[in-house]
Amino acid sequence: MSSVASSEVGVARDGYYSDRRAARIAKLIAAIGLFALAFWSVDYLRIPIERFAEMFGRVGAWVAARLFPPDMEYAVTDQIVFSVFETIEMSLLGATFGTLISIPVAWFAAWNVTPNRRILYPFGRGVLVVTRAVPVIIWGMLLVEILGFGPIAGTVALTLLTIGFAGKLMAEQVEAIDMGPVEALRATGANRICTFVYAVLPQVRPAWAGIIIYNWDSVFRASTVLGFVGAGGLGMFIRMQVDVLDHQKAFGIIVIVIVLTIGSEVASHFMRQRFR
Amino acid sequence: MSAGPDRVHLDAGWQGNPLRPRSLIARRYTLYLTATVAVGAMTWHVFFHGTDWGRFGGIASFAREVGRFLPDLTFLPHVVAPLLETLLMAFWGTFIAMILCLPVAWLAARNITPFYPVTYAVGRAIMVLSRSVHELIFALLFVAALGLGAFPGILALACRSIGFMSKTTAEALENVDRGPIEAMEATGAGRLSVVLFGIVPQVFPIFVGNVIFQLDINLRRAAILGMVGAGGIGILFSDVMMSYRFDQAGACVLGIFILVTMGEFVSTRIRARLVYGEVGRRE
Repeated sequence: MSSVASSEVGVARDGYYSDRRAARIAKLIAAIGLFALAFWSVDYLRIPIERFAEMFGRVGAWVAARLFPPDMEYAVTDQIVFSVFETIEMSLLGATFGTLISIPVAWFAAWNVTPNRRILYPFGRGVLVVTRAVPVIIWGMLLVEILGFGPIAGTVALTLLTIGFAGKLMAEQVEAIDMGPVEALRATGANRICTFVYAVLPQVRPAWAGIIIYNWDSVFRASTVLGFVGAGGLGMFIRMQVDVLDHQKAFGIIVIVIVLTIGSEVASHFMRQRFR
Repeated sequence: MSAGPDRVHLDAGWQGNPLRPRSLIARRYTLYLTATVAVGAMTWHVFFHGTDWGRFGGIASFAREVGRFLPDLTFLPHVVAPLLETLLMAFWGTFIAMILCLPVAWLAARNITPFYPVTYAVGRAIMVLSRSVHELIFALLFVAALGLGAFPGILALACRSIGFMSKTTAEALENVDRGPIEAMEATGAGRLSVVLFGIVPQVFPIFVGNVIFQLDINLRRAAILGMVGAGGIGILFSDVMMSYRFDQAGACVLGIFILVTMGEFVSTRIRARLVYGEVGRRE
């Protein structure tokens, strides 16, 4: 289209040709490199590529023979129902505490309104980076070691997940606000807390509401597997049943997880529409 | 939540704010109170019911407990190879999902799905299933079916990523601008060239951005899959945790931290470039 037209006209005066040629060569080298990397990595990861065809038949047969039908009778016993409630409790508590903590963290970590750019800004950024970069399951494993088995470790892990996830998005929203009201309040001599509460919060409240609800949704997803490492909730039973090779019972619980996750997604969708 | 002029109560009394009627205030505080009581009850249930906090000892013993996780920096060289494996798993999982998400997106895009009542529902069902099952559960099942190694982990990542990627791709397809397509059809272009030159250039930048975003997420996901035996750094991490080498576990966490932070930095930079021109601008 336009590139064809311009190359026919010959736009060589600003080095356009040589740029394009260099870009093309760079792309070619990148493509060759990627192919080499791909071949090497198949070998490195020991992917049994010669058994591919047989393998997928095996997975299908395995799913049909071992997973189906899901054992729903087991999945509605008292034990499981209790752990469903525990999972929901963990997700709600983790999301609540995490949100409460991430409000000041987001305030500190937003460059435009941070109360102190030398100490509190790096501190807020550091908290966000550290909580964000370590996956929640690993937090769960570490906390199980420190706080013991059970939902306490899971709740704290979910709190950290919320700080890393919601806190970052909240800080980004704060950085995108209109600075007019902030300057107006500062001009009247309002202190930093008043400025935050009356100039920043009203601007970000709708966005924050959406972030908080969405965050609960993702926290709930994570809470269903924290039990894998003993941090409370449903996951423990899935892992237990897979470990004793009772896959139908495990699949029954997985069906429950799927239903709950879809429910949480629908709930968060309606909540977000209500708060918009 | 703002009270419009129709809500103004002029008889609200000498201290009443006409813009905030008492009924509104009462309802709001009832909501706050209920939420506080609910959170308090759940906190008591999770944190204090059946927990012997006396056994934790003081802050000193807690600090000692945490101090065991201080990373053993001499262990870091052993972490590099598993981290590389994690990175490669993330690449492969994203690549497979990138290919598999195209047919799903085709089925689930309202405007181009071949037979709306059936295929649309099928596409949406695949998306929901993929998004609502956690990658660890996928990995657990694939490890049970295929044995240990990186391959079941890659499949788990792919299964988990299909949902998000096909969802965003389908949305991009639904929001395609009709103008260029109609213009091409008016010139008598065939169906294939309409797709190739009318639809693909519009969707491509969004698609690439989502692939890079998903790669970043899959890097985090790949880091934990080893916990169920599906390859990557997770295997080493759970090994050293089980043998109570917490200093080595600290080194593993440090490695994951570095890898994930670097991945996020690179992905943010590339996506910013995609948004502000370069690849996003059609040549």
